[in-house]
Amino acid sequence: MASSEQTSDLVQLKVHGVIADPNTDTRIVILKEGDSDNVMLPIWIGTAEGQAIEWALGDTVLQRPMSHDLIRSVAEHLEMKIKRVVVTDVRNNTYYASIYLESRGVERVIDSRPSDAIALALRAKAPIYVTQDVLKRRASGNTELWLDRLDTKNLGKYEV
Amino acid sequence: MITQMKVRGLMFDPYNNAYIVILRDEDQSEMLPIWVGKAEASAISFALETVATPRPMTHDLLKSMLEAVDAKVISVVINDMKDNTYFSRIHLLYEDSEYSIDSRPSDAIALALRTNAPIFASEDVIRRQASEELDQWLENLKPEDFGKYES
Repeated sequence: MASSEQTSDLVQLKVHGVIADPNTDTRIVILKEGDSDNVMLPIWIGTAEGQAIEWALGDTVLQRPMSHDLIRSVAEHLEMKIKRVVVTDVRNNTYYASIYLESRGVERVIDSRPSDAIALALRAKAPIYVTQDVLKRRASGNTELWLDRLDTKNLGKYEV
Repeated sequence: MITQMKVRGLMFDPYNNAYIVILRDEDQSEMLPIWVGKAEASAISFALETVATPRPMTHDLLKSMLEAVDAKVISVVINDMKDNTYFSRIHLLYEDSEYSIDSRPSDAIALALRTNAPIFASEDVIRRQASEELDQWLENLKPEDFGKYES
């Protein structure tokens, strides 16, 4: 971690899975803290990005490099190390993420959508963090309940 | 031998539920149709229309990563075709060294358009893909089936 980072502000999450949203033609990536059901963060993402995340989760090796494999390959060739990705904010139904790279000893921070950041982090085996602030505002405490509500039409706004 | 190509069209292929990127050379005498998926077609379309999306899409991310370390896209080359799959390479310049990175043509084209890098196809690939069947099918397409994309 860079010395400027407040590590206590970030919570590491794991990708629990990608599900299809029954109400729209999109996907939802579920991030969870450890194995407990206590902290769960759902982020709506596109189908292609959901597929990219699923492939990474399944360690699926495709015949040809897909878009996120290419990003990873470029990073490797140019010796850019993907240190971590952070979901930093959510506002106006949009999540924001940052990808922390290290290149020639210098840290670079790249603005990204969470879907791309997660798809890349999984391929690079880099940790995924969320800020306490985002968790406080958006995390659900009960996965089962949240998933049940998902099937109803009384759904809150989609945040991508 | 490689020939510089430009994206001259992007269309939907209902038979394969996929999209086709039409590359043509300067004289419009050579043509290379490349089938791509929906996401890649969107990425290419956004670049052609210079649509700025509110948040960076996947190929915008790739571009920013390259910009962050001052790496330049020199060119992309569609250099091979095997079993109906095209292969391409993205040529980068980074810290006075050149890199050649394996890629699908769709991603290479999406990146090239965003970085104003030239797109090339090898003569071999152009020659090999030209088959009577394909020519006939393409002859049946009307000019209005092609987009008005100039790049």
